Amino acid sequence: MTDSAQPVRDKASPGVPAKCIACNHELNSPVVCDYCHTLNPIHSLTDYFQVLGVDRRLDLDADQLRKKFLALNRHAHPDFHTSDTPEVRELSLRVASTVNDAYRTLSDPVSRAEYLLELLGGPSSAADKSTPDGLVAEMMDLQEQIDEAPDKTRLAATLQARLDRMVDGLGKLFARIGADAACEAVRQSTLREIRHHLNAISYLRRLVTLSESK
Amino acid sequence: MTTDNDIILGIDLGTSNSLGAVFTPGGPELIRDADGAALVPSIIAFANGKVTVGAVAKAQAVLNPLSTVYSIKRLMGRSIADVAAELGRLAYHVTESDSDSVRVDVNGEGLSPQELSAVILGEIRRRAEAALGQPIRRAVITVPAYFDDAQRQATRDAGRIAGLQVERIVNEPTAAALAYGLDRTAAATIAVYDLGGGTFDISILRAENGVFQVLSTHGDTHLGGDDLDGELIDLITSEIRERFGEHLSFPPATRQALRQFAEATKIRLSSEPTATVQVDLGEGRTYERTVTREEFEQRAAQWIDRTIDACRQALADAGVAVEDIDEVVMVGGCTRVPLVRRRVGELFGREPYTAINPDEVVALGAAVQAGILAGMQRDVLLLDVTPLSLGIETLGGAMGKLIMRNSTVPCKASEVFTTSVDGQTAVDIHVLQGERELVADCRSLGRVKLTDIPPMPAGMPRIAVTFLIDANGILHVTAREQRSGRTAGIQVTPAHGLTTDQVDTLVKDSWVNAIEDMTAHRLIDLRNESERILAAIDKALARLPKALTPPQRKILDASVVMLKAKIGGDDADELQAAMTAANDAAGPLTQAQMDAVLNKTAKGKPISDF
Repeated sequence: MTDSAQPVRDKASPGVPAKCIACNHELNSPVVCDYCHTLNPIHSLTDYFQVLGVDRRLDLDADQLRKKFLALNRHAHPDFHTSDTPEVRELSLRVASTVNDAYRTLSDPVSRAEYLLELLGGPSSAADKSTPDGLVAEMMDLQEQIDEAPDKTRLAATLQARLDRMVDGLGKLFARIGADAACEAVRQSTLREIRHHLNAISYLRRLVTLSESK
Repeated sequence: MTTDNDIILGIDLGTSNSLGAVFTPGGPELIRDADGAALVPSIIAFANGKVTVGAVAKAQAVLNPLSTVYSIKRLMGRSIADVAAELGRLAYHVTESDSDSVRVDVNGEGLSPQELSAVILGEIRRRAEAALGQPIRRAVITVPAYFDDAQRQATRDAGRIAGLQVERIVNEPTAAALAYGLDRTAAATIAVYDLGGGTFDISILRAENGVFQVLSTHGDTHLGGDDLDGELIDLITSEIRERFGEHLSFPPATRQALRQFAEATKIRLSSEPTATVQVDLGEGRTYERTVTREEFEQRAAQWIDRTIDACRQALADAGVAVEDIDEVVMVGGCTRVPLVRRRVGELFGREPYTAINPDEVVALGAAVQAGILAGMQRDVLLLDVTPLSLGIETLGGAMGKLIMRNSTVPCKASEVFTTSVDGQTAVDIHVLQGERELVADCRSLGRVKLTDIPPMPAGMPRIAVTFLIDANGILHVTAREQRSGRTAGIQVTPAHGLTTDQVDTLVKDSWVNAIEDMTAHRLIDLRNESERILAAIDKALARLPKALTPPQRKILDASVVMLKAKIGGDDADELQAAMTAANDAAGPLTQAQMDAVLNKTAKGKPISDF
């Protein structure tokens, strides 16, 4: 029912409308035609991966992503449409903001994982607040260490290393989705596992910020 | 002529000084007056029924302290509570107005900061029109990067009141980076440290292949040269009281004089180790004191420390280490203070770049942005960010963030709202900007009221509200009821600004100005057109001296003399009449010229080709 620029995040995401409204050339990104640079209206089912014209996967090349983001902005940014009709100016604002929102979401590996999990139909952080088994015990151990030897620098480094390991671990979890796609029950349990993993990451991120600020 | 009128003026609307620049094929150029000065002091004087702006206004400030307005930028988009701390230092009177905004009391009339800023903008525009000999209707205006939505809107409204179509609000440090990096091709990470008269900004940018991407920005819209001057004023006043009596009060004229002494002392201490202040207090009492640079630096240190903290925060937000910074660009008059250069150099571990004039670089950058908007700089892409997180009030007075600070603009966020009572047809949303958890600690941007919701049981309506921050950093709110698919009605009440109606009224109120402006524009247009006609007549007469009969030639010569006389005059109607007469008299000449061209070209070609 909505024609808003916000992609609808459901797991069934059909292909984007494939032809440019102006030149009928095949669209690489659904928002800006590579061929004639015309801005195309954003289809409501378009997701952020499609907006930037990259594969829907967790391991994306940061440089390539940035190049796509800048290339799209070279044509979509409102600066280049000041003398256009109000309709095109409005479209430029919607397209450029969607491109920027997409890049912000996908350029950070954690928010990219969150977004991908949502696209795959996984639970939200509000729906499932659990963390992986053992994390609570691990944090209690850490608390003891801090009480015994309050070395802030070492603590921050330890937390950061733990966080980095968890972020690296996301790849393996997402890879399992592809492999186990046949069995819905296993798929659902993997999605829940990713959710718990991401909950732990956001918890660790808060801890790192706190340990740095004090 | 249309292209001439498309000139977009870049304006640096500063706390202490303002100036304009335009983009030319050779790059950005400052607007200078006959004496070569580009800087116009942001000071307005209302005296003897006349309004003056700039150096003239500054010169009479001590004589008319109550009707001389300065540092008005610090009041833009602010409530009386926001500016309470500095009211004591201002020589003019500031009062509270409706919707939590302020007015400056000038000769019994309450003027909004927007109207006063519009007077300064009008002066910059007038100077540009005089320098360029053509009317200007469009502008790019710079603001501190850390300005919030209300302050940006106030600036845009000031432009509108001044009769300018504001094409873009640009952040000052970003503009500076544009001017600095335009001719550089090597990829670089740049820190722009901008300490102006009243505001401080730090921005971290990535520049490569014509792309200027702001990674993060931080700052303080109430920290600048005025505060350093304030330290000196406090030092002097406290010592005067110690020496001549605790209860000595400082009338507005003295306050204004002290302000100018303090500013002069600060500037002197940038190049000299000491500066001497002498204040005549009347009744044979004179205060004289030599201030050393160390003394000044001790008092200034707390302010500079705050800027250094902001730099660290900006680096962290950008995810950039100090070692990754390739260049530190210094902007704003206050970066001439040696302590500032020293501390910034220490933090970044390198000598700051000071080869560009810190007072002029922002206006030049505004002109570059104007060039981009006018399509003269297609290869430059500028991506800026929103300085503050945007959110809404949630249950229990908490701030629910929707758009995080340092998000590239334009950007947007959507949130679905519903009703809490059966049959409820309106929902109130409190929109905020800031980083703190509690509503009370954030800046209120105003209230958005969703109306015309179809009556339904509580919790049934689904109103999707989209908050979009445009390339100016200004918020737009749209709403749609998802079940009915209808666009929901929206009323926005700004917290510290003027409502759209108020701005419209002010724009209409300045109709006297507008007529004068229109006359001025028309005169400039007509003069340009007349010059063009005269040149064309000269050229045609030289080429076809025998084209006119003697009586025709007599009429033409007379009309040319008349037109030349009217170009120098101020009457647009008379000039228009003279121009039409000359054009008509030149009619046979024009015809002869066209025939000549036709004959030449048509030789050997069938006439049907034409």
